[in-house]
Amino acid sequence: MNRFKVVRADTCISCCLCESLCPYGVHRRVEGHTRILPPDDRKCIGPACEANDFFCVANCPTNSLSLRESDNFKSLGDPRWTADMILATWHQAETGAPLPLDHPANEGRSGGGFDELRLVLPEKTPRYDPDDMSTSMELNRRGTGERIRTSVPFYGGGMSFGSISVHTMLARVVAARKWDTFVSTGEGGYPKLLVPYSDSIITQIATGLFGVREETIQRSRIIEFKYAQGAKPGLGGHLLGDKNTPDVARMREAVPYTSLFSPFPFHSVYSVEDHKKHFDWALSINPKALLSAKVSTPNDVEMVAVGSYYAGAHIVHLDGGYGGTGAAPEIAKKNIAMPIEYAIPKVHRFLMAEGIRDEVTLVASGGIRTALDVAKAIALGADGVVTGTSELVALGCVRCGNCESGRGCPRGIATTDPELERQSTSDWGSSILDNLYSSWRAQWCELLARLEMSDISELVGRTDLLRYRQRPAKEVGE
Amino acid sequence: MTIAYERYHIPLKNVAGRAPRIPEFEISRADNCVNCGRCERACIYGVHERSGTDPREMADPINRFCKNCFRCIAECPQGALTMSEGEEYASLGRGVWTSNRMSTIWGEAETGKIPVFGAGYRGMFAGDGYDSMWTDMSEIVRPTRDGIHGREFISTSADIGRIPSFLEFLPSGEIATNMPPLFEIPIPMVLDATRTSVLPENVEDGIAIAAKALRTLVFVPLDRTSRAAREGCEGCVVPVVPAHTEPSSLRLPDGVRMVEVVVDGSWRDEMEALTATFEDKVVSVRIRAERGVEETILDMLDMGVAVANVEYSDDGMEYGDDGRHAMESLRAIHAKLVSAARRDEMTIMAGGGLAAAEHVPKSIICGADVVCLDKSLLIALECRNCIDCDPVSCPVDVSSASPSWVSDRISNLVGAWRDQLLEVLGAMGLREARRLRGEFGRAIFFEDLERDFTSSLDGGERT
Repeated sequence: MNRFKVVRADTCISCCLCESLCPYGVHRRVEGHTRILPPDDRKCIGPACEANDFFCVANCPTNSLSLRESDNFKSLGDPRWTADMILATWHQAETGAPLPLDHPANEGRSGGGFDELRLVLPEKTPRYDPDDMSTSMELNRRGTGERIRTSVPFYGGGMSFGSISVHTMLARVVAARKWDTFVSTGEGGYPKLLVPYSDSIITQIATGLFGVREETIQRSRIIEFKYAQGAKPGLGGHLLGDKNTPDVARMREAVPYTSLFSPFPFHSVYSVEDHKKHFDWALSINPKALLSAKVSTPNDVEMVAVGSYYAGAHIVHLDGGYGGTGAAPEIAKKNIAMPIEYAIPKVHRFLMAEGIRDEVTLVASGGIRTALDVAKAIALGADGVVTGTSELVALGCVRCGNCESGRGCPRGIATTDPELERQSTSDWGSSILDNLYSSWRAQWCELLARLEMSDISELVGRTDLLRYRQRPAKEVGE
Repeated sequence: MTIAYERYHIPLKNVAGRAPRIPEFEISRADNCVNCGRCERACIYGVHERSGTDPREMADPINRFCKNCFRCIAECPQGALTMSEGEEYASLGRGVWTSNRMSTIWGEAETGKIPVFGAGYRGMFAGDGYDSMWTDMSEIVRPTRDGIHGREFISTSADIGRIPSFLEFLPSGEIATNMPPLFEIPIPMVLDATRTSVLPENVEDGIAIAAKALRTLVFVPLDRTSRAAREGCEGCVVPVVPAHTEPSSLRLPDGVRMVEVVVDGSWRDEMEALTATFEDKVVSVRIRAERGVEETILDMLDMGVAVANVEYSDDGMEYGDDGRHAMESLRAIHAKLVSAARRDEMTIMAGGGLAAAEHVPKSIICGADVVCLDKSLLIALECRNCIDCDPVSCPVDVSSASPSWVSDRISNLVGAWRDQLLEVLGAMGLREARRLRGEFGRAIFFEDLERDFTSSLDGGERT
């Protein structure tokens, strides 16, 4: 996608001076052609080029070239995922290069939450060796059960087979394995292709029990119970009929092309005791598994978190209101339950006061987009985060929001349409995600070095490092 | 008499618009297009097609099909395609009536469906008025969920009129309390045809038909009452009587259950005559909200007014320079009546600034029993919210629409909004809209969250 628009006027005489000047390859004439090709402005670095001797606009003998921000760029993105942020994520995913910590694309312009939180960083970066830095997250902080550490402070959030393509699933799992972390299946099981990677897969159990079988539970090292989802808290999961292709339906043991509804809530769980029984049921099938409770963020989120702990959860996963989804009513995304930024410190401090913070792994999700959002969530009190949308963006998502309908994603990411999903392969996808993770890790390492820390767990709950700037948000409803 | 169980249901159907949809994004094709047809293969929505007259050329993109996926732009080998924001779309919208909300209402009125999309929330973090509150949800259950998918029933009914706080009985066991007129409507939304500019007759008729079909109320100016009351709509029609009308001079159609009077500063003198004349009807008073409106409303309750219809500005604000948003104003009214221990003796209606489905539950949480839909009804008819509304130059020629089209579009809108109210109630674990009313504790206010949040940041600025 081009950020800038380079316009060549009719007065161009195809002298091709620009071609010889531009080191980025914007201008090109094919050997034998009389006229130069239209500018390939995807390669252009924009007005910043003015400082260079080779700036084509200034050098053109007939003044035929002009440069402006492209309309495409202006139509991309939204206040939460700005065009800058999407392009930066694509760049990170292509190159693996870290985004400078002061780059504007590290935050959105939604006027609140992460977008108004800044980490106070000392100016100078001391010399550091990334290999000495730890960015890992402990997933089991209770006395019993398997110790599991991920090498990065995140794991991949639930996106079901059906809501996303098998290539996307496989890409996420392959990348997760490389980084010693996990990917949640979402509710819908996982196809055979993923079975060899089951060590890196979290099986999600939600009310529809789609794709949940004894063997999937037995294979999983971590079992996630989805009590609610941030984007549609208190509402159920929903896969629209068109996306329920025969493959998906087989996995879910359902009738193809019918809408699949996974209703809220678990009617068998009305108390902490029920909650524990629910966990016990899973443990009776796989006694070694770690248990995660995925909940959203109501007013009493801290009580819910404490309840989950006493029921036996190793991981308490808070999913905030502004999180991702494959299909949700618009009214629920914005209006029901609070944004994650408010919930993390609330829960963190409550668990501290209860004296059980050290025994719980608190992970957060719901609108965590960049490496710096991750760091901010950790500084607010989470041990780590769960990612989702940022991975899809890395894979080429432009957040057009058409994942739910018809054949699904026009770009082949969140679809099970056999034709559309051919647009990408899992090999490409996993290297893209690998790049994104490298880039994020490099950002965290620099951040830790600046703060003179060597382990990201030292950052947990360091709200003293955060500054919150109040700025009136006026563009609401846009 | 046996009463069969009947579940309230709003029939929805697809009601196509009459005017072309205004596209949010426009794709333009530059001259350097080589007509290779890659875009045609790339687009799954049918934006790009070859020209019907000359298949060697690509036709102009059909923008209303575009869903902004950027695939054609990314795949065009010539870089000939550009996506830009639609000019007309960008120029739409004023105040709380943003282009996005208007276009959402157009969609709801067309399909009657809840807007459902993929990808997470994409707007601002928070904002003014109703954008500074979130509704709560219930993590671990209560029964309910869910009216729309056909399991347990969630009631959205509201009571109109005065509910006595207690009943008195004679020694014989009969009720001694003189029961005031009171009735129930199945949705907490009424249609108000008086607030917008003078409506063409076809629109007025359509709104009345919709009110009858929805079994709710329609507020009409007094002089239009008999027209609106045709076709057995009497029970739905609420005549709105201008200030200083002599009550005894009024001739209302039979079957009218409720009457509303507009009042000004001298309302106290008129109240007695009004309530005496309309003894058998619910008497509502329309009051322009200004700061301190809660005091006036409590006074009115003392004078026997059963319904206060509180009118906010088009942007949902109280009138006057120091006006509060309806969110605060309604909370003040509700709290006032609660602390006087008389909340149920009065029905509070609120209108103005209701531009999106979420404003209905939010108004109710803040203390309204019922909301009045006004401008949204016109927007449902594809109104562009022009600054100067003139039926002659109306860009969508609203006066040529058939009353049944008007009625169907409005039923769709109300149906979609009710379904969204059900979503919110379901998420909260409530099975009755009545119990949502005034439940401040089940809402999350920006102000409170910010205060907690800033105080939890050791290094944060404290306010």
